[in-house]
Amino acid sequence: MAATPATDTTGTGLMEGVTDHINREAVESLAADEPQWLRDRRLEAWSLYERTPMPTTRLEEWRYTNLSRKLKLDRLSLLPWEERSYSPESAPRRLKDAMDQDRDASGHLIELDGTVASVDLGEEFAAKGVVLTSLRKAVHSHPELLEELLATEALPAGLGKFQALNAALWTDGVLLYVPKGVRLERPIRVSRWSSEPGRAVFSRTLIVAEGASQVSFVDECLSEDFEEQMLASTAVEVFARDGAQVQFVSLQRMGTGTFHLSQQRTLAGRDSTLDTLNVGLGGTTARVDLNARLQGPGANSDMLGLYFGDGDQHFDFNTSQDHVAPNAKSDLLYKGALDGRAQSVFRGVIKVHRGAQQTDAYQTNRNLLLSDRARADSLPNLEIEADDVRCSHGATVGQLDQNHLFYLMSRGIPRELAERLVVMGFLGEVLSRLPLGGVVEKITGIIDEKLHG
Amino acid sequence: MSDSPILSIKDLHAKVADEDIDILHGVNLEIGRGELHAIMGPNGSGKSTLAKILAGHPGYETTSGEVLYEGEDLLELEVDERAQKGVFLAFQYPVEVPGVSIANFLRTALQARLGEGEEVDLFDFQDELLAKMEILDMDPSFAERSVNDGFSGGEKKRNEILQMAVLKPKLALMDETDSGLDIDALQVVAKGVKRLQEEDPDMSVLIITHYQRVLQYIEPDHVHVMIGGQLVRSGGAEVAADLEAQGYEQFKTPATG
Repeated sequence: MAATPATDTTGTGLMEGVTDHINREAVESLAADEPQWLRDRRLEAWSLYERTPMPTTRLEEWRYTNLSRKLKLDRLSLLPWEERSYSPESAPRRLKDAMDQDRDASGHLIELDGTVASVDLGEEFAAKGVVLTSLRKAVHSHPELLEELLATEALPAGLGKFQALNAALWTDGVLLYVPKGVRLERPIRVSRWSSEPGRAVFSRTLIVAEGASQVSFVDECLSEDFEEQMLASTAVEVFARDGAQVQFVSLQRMGTGTFHLSQQRTLAGRDSTLDTLNVGLGGTTARVDLNARLQGPGANSDMLGLYFGDGDQHFDFNTSQDHVAPNAKSDLLYKGALDGRAQSVFRGVIKVHRGAQQTDAYQTNRNLLLSDRARADSLPNLEIEADDVRCSHGATVGQLDQNHLFYLMSRGIPRELAERLVVMGFLGEVLSRLPLGGVVEKITGIIDEKLHG
Repeated sequence: MSDSPILSIKDLHAKVADEDIDILHGVNLEIGRGELHAIMGPNGSGKSTLAKILAGHPGYETTSGEVLYEGEDLLELEVDERAQKGVFLAFQYPVEVPGVSIANFLRTALQARLGEGEEVDLFDFQDELLAKMEILDMDPSFAERSVNDGFSGGEKKRNEILQMAVLKPKLALMDETDSGLDIDALQVVAKGVKRLQEEDPDMSVLIITHYQRVLQYIEPDHVHVMIGGQLVRSGGAEVAADLEAQGYEQFKTPATG
């Protein structure tokens, strides 16, 4: 790494990824006015970061994403938290357009350059005890909840280098709490915007859906196009308590020059449904680590993914279907289309722990290459320690071939339109499994736009 | 039969693109408006290649000769342009298009034929599609299925005829539509083609087949025999009957370079 040499004061680690800006002083200054528990948590996370080597392509999980080439941490500075407000008049066009496409929501939160600038939650939900707030504010308004669940059970710093980094340096984010039995018909929406090149932004999301509650959460990330690199790191922790129904959707639509790093962990309780959709459309490099843990009997997780890359975009999805409890089900479908010199990596593991009998776990990754120079690597994997399970996995990488196009064109459909039909048809399978009005139309529109481009 | 032929092929030579494999060695053929022609031949004789070249398949290259379609140089046109001008190829092996419904597919194809600002009328389209499906004994739910995705061989062939019925070509090329069909399915397909010819007596049809069987249901005006990339015999329906009795062995493969 090209990181600024730093002294290893502990003598136990390598200090890789410690730079002029990303260092212990930065963590200490962030934590200065915070409660003791949080200060301790940040500093402990930072120590773990210092001691953990930077992942290299020698690691199976990073084999196809070369961080030393793709992430220039030493050129990034931190974006300090500062009070920001949102006004529609001065909002960037791209952000405004994205929000105009949204249908009604139960609540809406806007984050600008790492600071929550606006929160709008329907009164009837607030009255029922639903909490939608800035994570920074929640440190004071909901200290017990955060102390218990922030970077502890779901995404503790010990999980890895970048989990540690985010836990040490997050400046703001989202807390969504849905009390027992409360059901929100329309989704909660989050719109995030990044405008500063050369910066690293760290944000966290904590979603807690109590027993028998129901909520959908749609998180959209947008940014300017940058000449210099910009890093957006998000850590997402989702708790679906017994019988809860949760949908988490991440719409990654960052501009060029961005490195999007998203760590997600979903914990599904007894008889709960915890579905996710990761959509990768923007950014130059985007890495998603998703661990879906089925920890209550009868839990169910549909895990959907959709990506469409062109130019020199690079997507890396690293998923895990982690079955701890018996009688649970997970069904993963990730599909991607790649044009230009775009590249995708899908690495998925189904892990069935001893005792997780009667598990149903399925995993499918399909890729469609639209150009000779595009590339997709697919690495499905099974680790099964229980004996009474139903599991399957499959991966394909196909080409939009001459015969396909010839067939459509022989019906009078022009080449460009033929390609669009095939791509839309291919990716549409993922969206058809998402019963979330508005979001499907939005994604379809974005893909269509990209195909036209 | 009216004025000039819809299709005129003169001394057509063709090969596999990017390879030195010659397939057609001087094909001559004229098809008049409203005529039904059949080209019969054994496997590898070049009859399917001819159909694909007429539709514009990028896997083949014409090395000499000419093809006029309604007086225009057909080989100069893009695949989609040929279709928009009325050429239709019913595929021997139809391609699967997952996630695209038959209705959407056909509507898109019809829309592509219209000028800017014109729109396919959705209600008319729906009516038309259902009517055509009924003729072909197809369940209405078929319209919402993805094109050829998971279809049986017979369903795929039927779907080809459905597309032909909706797109209403001036020149229909049917590439071994009969292969793999049982008698019932064959009769349905034949009925469909006849209905189309009744609706548009000017529609010309070129049937490519290995077997004489299909010609009992769709009677051709002209039958040609293709061997080794050339039409070695042409005549009326009696040619097919003769082939049925004597087989392809009676024709010696012409010496090729």
